[in-house]
Amino acid sequence: MLAFVRRNQVLLTSFFCLLFSLYILSAAARGRLRRDPIGPLLLELMRPLQIGAQATVTKLREIQQGYITLRRLASENERLKGRTLELEAERNRLLEAEATNRRLRELLEFRSQLPPGSLTAAVIANSASTWFHSFILNKGSADGVLQGMAVVSPVGVIGQVVAVTSSSSKVLLITDPHSGVDVFDQRSRARGIVSGSLESGPMMKYSKRSEDIQEGDRLITSGLDGIFPKGLLVGTVVKVRKKSFGLFQYVEVALAVDPSRLEEVLVVSAGGAQPKD
Amino acid sequence: MKLSLLFFLAGFIVVLLQTTFLHLFPLGPIVPDLILVLCVYWGLNHPTVGAVWGAFLLGYAVDVFSSPVLGLNAFAMSLVFLAVYLSSRRIWIHSPLLSAAVVFFASWVKGAALILVGTFFLAAEGLWIGVLKYIFLEALVAAILAPGVFSLLRRGQSFLEEVRMPL
Repeated sequence: MLAFVRRNQVLLTSFFCLLFSLYILSAAARGRLRRDPIGPLLLELMRPLQIGAQATVTKLREIQQGYITLRRLASENERLKGRTLELEAERNRLLEAEATNRRLRELLEFRSQLPPGSLTAAVIANSASTWFHSFILNKGSADGVLQGMAVVSPVGVIGQVVAVTSSSSKVLLITDPHSGVDVFDQRSRARGIVSGSLESGPMMKYSKRSEDIQEGDRLITSGLDGIFPKGLLVGTVVKVRKKSFGLFQYVEVALAVDPSRLEEVLVVSAGGAQPKD
Repeated sequence: MKLSLLFFLAGFIVVLLQTTFLHLFPLGPIVPDLILVLCVYWGLNHPTVGAVWGAFLLGYAVDVFSSPVLGLNAFAMSLVFLAVYLSSRRIWIHSPLLSAAVVFFASWVKGAALILVGTFFLAAEGLWIGVLKYIFLEALVAAILAPGVFSLLRRGQSFLEEVRMPL
């Protein structure tokens, strides 16, 4: 008997524990369990440890929560940064659209003052050489652009169409040494030719020494060259030099238009334009 | 003696963990059942009378800390220990994967015991409805934790047994 018990002590103890727990359960369920010696002892024993552990858990939870909040904020921050960039791009786009709109409106108003047949074109390429000042427009013969047409902006004269293809045209700028625009001094009506120069900038050439030209005078197109309509601003006189000899005086001009900053222009026919062969 | 102390300490720590730190895991209502894992370990690797009482007391501790009536978890843990002990006499379980599988099924045994005994003694009708999902999840979490806990306990046990050998 004792040997059987020893051999099966684990099994027997297990059964005993099962029955004992059922007894406890039964008594507890009926409310007859008056005294529980182990429960309060266990609670008392664990209490300080649980308090300490719970404090740590609370701290850890705070850290966890802080981390989660930080992650959320980081993600929110990333999202807002992206949104800021989007809005910035949108703002730039709108500002650009507004500027384009303003320029086009000015061009449109200016166009109404020009002879009929003038058209708006956009600059699509600039000069590839230091020696020649020109740019390419997005309009060509198919759009009605002819060789010899004047290219202007609301601010002033820009240049002249020198070559045309069906869909684009090349403009020789007023800053090029090979260009020339017949001008008047608006104040004294003195005549001359404004032309570009590589070393000293635009000049007013061929104005007689006797002509009354002063610094600050506005130079406008005479319309006599048959290319540019009369009365367009070309520039202002910045320096006048008269040498002790020679027929002409030396006049430096500040152009009204900086051709390097242009995006849209007007191509104008003043009557001298020739269809390209 | 040292081994008993180790297991006593393990039981103590496991109860402490289960009532505090393990709630930090973001598992919703599921609390990783390390007490069950420890009972299974005892049933597999240390089937002694002390371990039987240990399983009973661990279940009792759960009752003290969380059960509406005493004896419910004490019964369930005792049953788990007995079931594992009886299984271990017939099959050799040593690999971590198998131990995880045993813990998984032990968790189902515990769940079934709680439902049956609860229904019988507490007249909690329909207790099993909707609870199967939680039993499954609890069993899964316990099974995932089992290899790690088993490895720790085995190391502790073998260390103490090595220390005891020269004596």
